[in-house]
Amino acid sequence: MTEKEKKTVVETSGTAQKDPRRTDAMRKTQRIEAIMEIVRIVAGMAIAYIVALLILVAISDDPVFIVKQFILGPFSSPRRIGSIVNLAVPFTLCGLSMCFMYAVNKFNLIGESIFMLSGCIITWVALAIGQNMPAIILIPLLLIVGAIVGAVLSFIPAIMDRKLNANVVVVSLMLNSVIAQLAIYILRYYMKDPGISFIGSYELPKQIQFATLFGKMRIGAGVIIALIAVVIVSIIFFKTAFGWKMRIVGSNPKFATAVGLSTLGISFAAQLAGGALAGVAGATEIMNSYKRFQWTASTGHGFDGLLVAVLAKKNPVLVPIGALFLAYVRIGADVVNTSGDIPYEFISVIQGIIILLVAAESFLSGFKNRLIYRSVQADKAKKSA
Amino acid sequence: MSIDIVAFIADAIKMSTPLVFAALAALMTRQAGMFNMGVEGMILCSALGAVTGAHYLGNVWAGVACGILTGLLTGFVIAFAHLSGKTDLYLTCIAFNLAATGGTVFIMYLLTGEKSTTSGAFRSYQIPNINIPIIKDIPILGRIISGQSLLTYVAVFCVWFVWFLLKRTRVGLRIRSVGENPKAAESVGISVKKIGYIAFLFCGLFAGLSGTFLSMSWVTFFMKNMVNGRGYIGLSAQNMANGNPVGSALVSLLFGATSSLSLTLKSQSNFPTEFLEMIPYLATIIAIVFTSLYSIHRKRKIEQGIK
Repeated sequence: MTEKEKKTVVETSGTAQKDPRRTDAMRKTQRIEAIMEIVRIVAGMAIAYIVALLILVAISDDPVFIVKQFILGPFSSPRRIGSIVNLAVPFTLCGLSMCFMYAVNKFNLIGESIFMLSGCIITWVALAIGQNMPAIILIPLLLIVGAIVGAVLSFIPAIMDRKLNANVVVVSLMLNSVIAQLAIYILRYYMKDPGISFIGSYELPKQIQFATLFGKMRIGAGVIIALIAVVIVSIIFFKTAFGWKMRIVGSNPKFATAVGLSTLGISFAAQLAGGALAGVAGATEIMNSYKRFQWTASTGHGFDGLLVAVLAKKNPVLVPIGALFLAYVRIGADVVNTSGDIPYEFISVIQGIIILLVAAESFLSGFKNRLIYRSVQADKAKKSA
Repeated sequence: MSIDIVAFIADAIKMSTPLVFAALAALMTRQAGMFNMGVEGMILCSALGAVTGAHYLGNVWAGVACGILTGLLTGFVIAFAHLSGKTDLYLTCIAFNLAATGGTVFIMYLLTGEKSTTSGAFRSYQIPNINIPIIKDIPILGRIISGQSLLTYVAVFCVWFVWFLLKRTRVGLRIRSVGENPKAAESVGISVKKIGYIAFLFCGLFAGLSGTFLSMSWVTFFMKNMVNGRGYIGLSAQNMANGNPVGSALVSLLFGATSSLSLTLKSQSNFPTEFLEMIPYLATIIAIVFTSLYSIHRKRKIEQGIK
């Protein structure tokens, strides 16, 4: 932040404080808006959850059992609780990655294939040089490799967006198809283990297969990486000039340009940062939950990340909560899938509904406006009294 | 290795039919100022709708009707979320595509008990191929122009129809004016919302035709994720042609040719299939780069001219 910008900010906040009449009403309105935002997200999730239950009741032969499985199944054993957390680890990292993209309003979906290729490349690196390297060096090295893969890949749509004004969504989706094939190619031609019955790489060196914590819950050590990432990204978002600029560019690009921020440069940098995080996510997931690289199709984590970022309203602090909710619903669907006649895919419809309800500005907006109107009216009445 | 050029061109036309429809679908909303990525999911839903309708009603044309109806319905859903629910269009479309990918598998499972394809459980119906009387006897041209699916000829008609609709009718003029400047359009009494809905319904019509072609002509069953990015490719095609229907169709034809090339090479060479799979998508990205460069160049020239 330059001196001039700092001054503007101080001045604007200064004038706001000088006008007590206005701040009071504004503060109240802001508070109502913030509360309603949370109410809306919770209501959206609740409605989607109810829709999920209705679908289960409608199509199942034994609705009571299935609904119970869906709600309580994920908590029925320590192992399942552990798998919620394990599933939430990549969701958190991908959600943080999408927070960067979403914060500058660029729906750069390249994270989807970064996740896959990063997992592929770090496996290759680990197999090539890591056999006798101690974990303390190798794990950070692999995370860095993953981050570099992510940054390099997200560079392509980001630079096309910046220099060519090409649509970042379309470019990133097309690239996803290309990169997924590249990862499969590398797997099949450079590290396929002929000794196993499915397509998969040779086994990763033992020292980087993450240890499991908390006894029976078998939570992988990847959760530590996820938590560290949440802290770092939150600091970047809320305590640094870059995070502040990024949020301004995203929420009001015209204002950002008017105060002299480089809109293109900042959104470019944010996309690179997001890509790097998606790379870290892929690397972490491989070391946390797998013995080999064995993805032969896109994993969908990039889109899950977007869902989490939407649920968390681009706020990195809330990302783990969104990730845990998504993981809980997924494990519930998984339990239902294995113990009944319900296919796992029904959950994707529910996810669509959640995004739509949370994203819909007009959902509950009448209620919000009425609340604000009433508070202003109450203010007026107090003043005249 | 020998490639039958005539068969290759005929294949390219066949492959580009769903892309032309997809491009027209995206074009209709684009003309109304909305970048609709949901085309991908709309086509997927329509493809399933078409085979399901044909199976249960026992008729090819009922299948076509169901495909189109599904397209219209999905168009309405996105329009409702975006125009009446005021959601961000990008987010809506991404959410819709995600829901469509899983939702079609879910519905397929409920109907057939299968999770990957309906080919075993549903009777297959095919839209007839048309042999045009005199043209089919012309040596090379006959094999290319004649004998294509009925929907391919419908696609050609639709390109003209969209051009006519946009340039020669009142609705078309309104759609374009809303796309150009919604506030100005509103100031002269055009309902932006209503025009948006109309554009989305046209979009649904073409997406429905595209999906119907995929599941009742290209192959005769529904397959998990069978659209495979065609919606996005069509979307880029019309983007490159700057919203011109004829241009969009020509660019789609080019992309159809790349898909056809990838298929031909796959059957005739032992080159790693992964790289051949990339061809259509890479071609799209490269084409986007060149058209963007060209439009930037032109813009710069215009700016210089003004000075």
